[in-house]
Amino acid sequence: MSENISLPKPYKITDIIKETEIEYTFRVEADLEVEHGQFFQISLPKVGEAPISISGIGDNWLEFTIRKVGKVTNEVFELEVGENLFMRGPYGSSFPINEYKDKDLVVIAGGTGVSPVRSTLKYFYENSDSIKSLYLIAGFKDEDSILFEEDLEKFKSEFNTIYTLDKEKIDGFEVGFVTDHIAKVPFDSFENYNVIIVGPPVMMDAAAKEVLKNGVVEEKIWVSFERKMSCAIGKCGHCKIDETYVCLEGPVFNYTKAKDLLD
Amino acid sequence: MNHDINIGKLQRNCFRQSKVPGEFMLQMRVPGAVIDAKHLSLVQHVAETWGNGKFHIGTRQTFSLPGIKYENIDAVNEYIKSYIEAIEVELCDVEMDDTDKGYPTIGARNTTACIGNQHCIKGNFDTTSLARKLEKLIFPSNYHIKMSVAGCPNDCSKAHFTDFGIIGIAKMEYDYGRCIGCGKCIDACQGHATRVLSKSQGKIIKDTCCCAGCGECATVCPTGAWTRNATKFYRVIIGGRAGKQYPRMGKMFLNWVTEDVIMGIIGNWQDFSAEILEHKPIYLHGGHLIDRAGYDRFKEMILEGVELNPESEVAERIYWAETEYRANIHVKPVNK
Amino acid sequence: MSYAVSIEKMDKVLKELKKKYRVYAPIRFEKRGRYSDTDLIRYAEIDSVKDVVYNEKSDFSPKEVIHPITQTLFHFTEYEYRESQIDDKEILIFAHPCDINGIKRLDTIFLENGNNEDVYYKRLRDKVKFVLMECQEDWDTCFCISMGSNQTDDYSLAIKFGEDQLSVEVKDNEFEGFFASEEEIDFTYKFVTANQEEVNLPKIDDKEMLKKVYDLKMWEDYNARCKDCGACTSACVTCSCFTTSDVIYSENGRVGERRRVWASCQHEDFTEMAGGHSFRNTPADRMRFRTLHKVYDYKERFGEEHMCVGCGRCTDRCNQLISFSKTINKLTEEVNRLQKEVN
Ligand SMILES: Cc1cc2nc3c(=O)[nH]c(=O)nc-3n(C[C@H](O)[C@H](O)[C@H](O)COP(=O)(O)OP(=O)(O)OC[C@H]3O[C@@H](n4cnc5c(N)ncnc54)[C@H](O)[C@@H]3O)c2cc1C
Ligand code: FES
Repeated sequence: MSENISLPKPYKITDIIKETEIEYTFRVEADLEVEHGQFFQISLPKVGEAPISISGIGDNWLEFTIRKVGKVTNEVFELEVGENLFMRGPYGSSFPINEYKDKDLVVIAGGTGVSPVRSTLKYFYENSDSIKSLYLIAGFKDEDSILFEEDLEKFKSEFNTIYTLDKEKIDGFEVGFVTDHIAKVPFDSFENYNVIIVGPPVMMDAAAKEVLKNGVVEEKIWVSFERKMSCAIGKCGHCKIDETYVCLEGPVFNYTKAKDLLD
Repeated sequence: MNHDINIGKLQRNCFRQSKVPGEFMLQMRVPGAVIDAKHLSLVQHVAETWGNGKFHIGTRQTFSLPGIKYENIDAVNEYIKSYIEAIEVELCDVEMDDTDKGYPTIGARNTTACIGNQHCIKGNFDTTSLARKLEKLIFPSNYHIKMSVAGCPNDCSKAHFTDFGIIGIAKMEYDYGRCIGCGKCIDACQGHATRVLSKSQGKIIKDTCCCAGCGECATVCPTGAWTRNATKFYRVIIGGRAGKQYPRMGKMFLNWVTEDVIMGIIGNWQDFSAEILEHKPIYLHGGHLIDRAGYDRFKEMILEGVELNPESEVAERIYWAETEYRANIHVKPVNK
Repeated sequence: MSYAVSIEKMDKVLKELKKKYRVYAPIRFEKRGRYSDTDLIRYAEIDSVKDVVYNEKSDFSPKEVIHPITQTLFHFTEYEYRESQIDDKEILIFAHPCDINGIKRLDTIFLENGNNEDVYYKRLRDKVKFVLMECQEDWDTCFCISMGSNQTDDYSLAIKFGEDQLSVEVKDNEFEGFFASEEEIDFTYKFVTANQEEVNLPKIDDKEMLKKVYDLKMWEDYNARCKDCGACTSACVTCSCFTTSDVIYSENGRVGERRRVWASCQHEDFTEMAGGHSFRNTPADRMRFRTLHKVYDYKERFGEEHMCVGCGRCTDRCNQLISFSKTINKLTEEVNRLQKEVN
C-alpha cells in the first residue's frame, strides 16, 4: 500500500512570537527538505486543516506566521510552546532562489503577503553576497498590523527598503500603498533582475500593472496565489483554475502563467 | 311565463335555479377534477343543444351548463346518463340504483382537487384518485359535505376553506451518508416552508416537530439524500367555510394520517350528520354542523371505529378564528 | 467464451461471487425519486440479477462505490488518530461503457494528478472489476459517441440482459469456472454506434481565445436559469471534488473523525476563503467553469481525452432543464464564430 500523504505528523512548537494581536509566528522543530514559498497543511485532529505558508526556514526548524480568522487558526492560537503542531507537507511550488542569485531582486509585499516571502528575504539577508541588490517594498494597513518588525528593521542594513502604511504616518513608514512607491525602484539601472509580488489579489494585480508600466517584462515577475484549498495534493478540486492546480503548480507562479489564470 | 316548478326537487337533481324563470344550470360532477378530455364533446353537446351554448368552470370544479329550459331537463338527464355511468359508476365505483334521471342528490358536493402529482412537481400524491375513492363514500347522499383535496401543503385547492380539506404530506427521510451538507434543503425549507432544517458539523439536522411535509427538501437535494417515505400521509383540515355571516379558515384536525384513516372518517360523516341533524338532511355547512355537535363529540363520532396509524396526530381542541360580519368594528364610513 | 445463462443460474453464480465480492449494480428505489411517485435508480449491492436496472439510466453513477459521498479518512480518539479501515471484500460493479470510461477519468485525478496516489481512492479502486452491461437503447441525453467513450475493454464479464436469460461473455479467467457447465453461445458485446444526440466540441487553441470564451454573453443566460443546486456534479461520473472536514461526535466530544464529502463547483462557497472572498461569484461563472473543465481544460492538462464521457446524467438530473449537450454545442458555435472573427 502506498504511503498516505494526507496523514498529519506532529511537530513540536519551540517558540511563539506575537507579531500582532491576531498574527503569531509559530516555530516548530522540523528537519525537512523545504523550499522558500512552499506551504504546509496545518492539520489539527478533530478541528481541521488550513494551508499556511512557510515564513521562516532554519537548520532544524520551520516558522509559520498564522492569522487567526477561523476554526483551525483559532485552535492553533490555543497551542503553547512544548505542544505539538500537526501538519503535513511541504506542498507546492517555490520561489526559484537560484535564479534570483547574482541579480537584482525587487520584492513587493502587502500585509500577510510578507509571510510567504519572508524566508526568501532572510535567505538573502544572510547571504547578501549572493544578490546584487534587493529592493523591498512592504506595506501594511496600519501600525497594529505590521508584521516581522524586528526583521524589517534588520533588513534596512542590507536592502533598499520602503515600508508603507495605508493611511497612518509613523516613523520609518511612508503613507500610501506599495504601488505608489514602485516608481522609486531604479529598474533602468538593473541589468538583470526579478520582481516578486505577494499580497491580496487586488494588490497583486495593481502592483503587476505598475511594474509592467515601468518596463519590467512578464518573465521577470513572480507572484504567490492564495486560493481555497482542501487537500493540497491535487485531488479535491477547490484550488483549480482552468488546467492549473494552485496547490500543485502554485502557489508561486511566474507572471507569464499567472496572468492567464482567470477564475 | 306561467311556471309551476318544484325548484327544490330540481336542485336535488343538480339543476340550479336561474334568474330567468324556467331556466336552470346543470352541474355535472367531476370528482377530483380530472377526467378524459373525450367527455368534453358530451358537455359541448348538452350546452349547445339544450343550454345557452356556454359553460362555466364551476367554482367546485363541475361542468356547469346554464340556460337549460325546464321542459328539456328530462332529455338532458337521459343524455348525460352515459357520462354519469362513466364517471360515477366506472371511475368511482359508486353504487347507483338508477342513472336515467340525472344526478340523484346534491347533498354531497363535488370534491375539488388540484392536479396533484399526476403533473405537479410539488404534489405529494394523486389527488384525483383519492377524490374518486371518496366519491364512493359520499355520493349519492342528501347529507351535505364539501371536500377539497390538495396535493401538498401549498394548498392550491383551498383545503383550508372547506368542510374537510385533505392535504398530501410526505414523511421525509434523510440519508446521512448521501448528504453533502450543501444546505440547499435548508434554503428551500426556509424559503417555502417551516424552517425546520439547520446544519451541524457538515450535515443536516431537523426539528421534526414542525415539518410541514411539503417535500421541498427532496426537490432541491442534489444527491437524493432526502427522499419521501413511500407511504402517503395526509393532513385533515376541518370546518373551513366562506359565507355571508362568519367565514373562517379551517383548522388542523389530523396530521400524518394514512389513507385508511381518511376513508374511515369520511365513511363516518353521514352517520355523524344524521345523528346531529336528527336524520333530517337539511343544508348546513360542515363547519356549522361540527359547531352544533361540539368539537369533542365530533371527534369521538368521526373517529369511531377508525384505527389511527401510529404516526397520527389528533387535535386536542380547536380554537376557531371567525370573521364576524355583524361586528366589523374596524370598518367605518368614509363620510361621517 | 460466451454463455447463455438463465436468471436462476446467474443468481446462483451471484451467491457464490458474493462470498468474495461486494456486487454493485444500479437498482430501483421505488418512490424515492425527486418528485412524488417517481423512482430513484442508483448503485447499491444486489442480491439478485433481477434487481439490476439495465434498461433505464441510473440517476447516479457508480462513482459513489469508489469515491463514496461521505468517507471517513481518520478516526480520532483522545490521544491518537488512526486511518479508517475497509473490509477485505473485492468489488464487482455492473456498468455501461461510459461509466467505466468515467472511472478512468477519476483514476487520472486520484491516482495521477500531482504525481501522487490518493490512498482512500486506491484502496477501493484496486478491488474493482467491471461487469459490462450492454446498452440496449441509446437514451436521448447520451452523447458517448461524441466523447469517444462508448467503448471499453476494461471488463471481466459482459452481459446482455434478456427477459429470462442472459448472454454472458467471460473475459476474465477468474470467472470462467462459474459458467463451465452452461451452454456456449456466439455472443459478442455490441457497443453503441450512434447517438440521437451529437455534440461538437469547441476548439480553443490559445489563451487569447479562452479569454474571449470567458466573456461570452451565453454564460449570463445561466444566471437566471441555474439555481446552483449541484445536481449535475453529483450525478456526473467524472466529478471528483470533495471537501475535507473534521467532526466531533456529539455523544463524546473527545472523539471524532476526519472525513471527506463530495463538493460541487456549482455551489457558491466552493472557492470561498477565510474572510468570505470567493472567486466565481455567479451561476454564470460556475457554469462556465464546469463546462470548460469537462470539455476543455481537463484535456489541456492530461492530454488524451476530455473529462466528460457523455453519459448525460447532468442533463437528466437538472431540475431547471439545462441540457449539457446543448450547452456544449452553443459554446462550440460561439467559439466558431469567434474564430471566424479572428480570421
Ligand atoms: C497557499 C496558501 C498559503 C497561505 N498562507 C497563509 C499564511 O501564511 N498565514 C495565514 O494566516 N494564512 C495563510 N493562508 C490562508 C489560510 O489558509 C486561511 O486563513 C485558513 O485556511 C483559515 O482557516 P480556518 O479554519 O482558521 O478558518 P475557517 O473557519 O475555515 O474559515 C473561516 C470562515 O469564517 C469566515 N471568516 C474568517 N475570517 C473572517 C474575517 N476576517 N472576516 C469575516 N469572515 C471571516 C469566513 O466565512 C471563512 O469561511 C494561506 C492560504 C493558502 C491557500
Ligand atoms: S487543494 Fe485540493 S486540488 Fe488543490
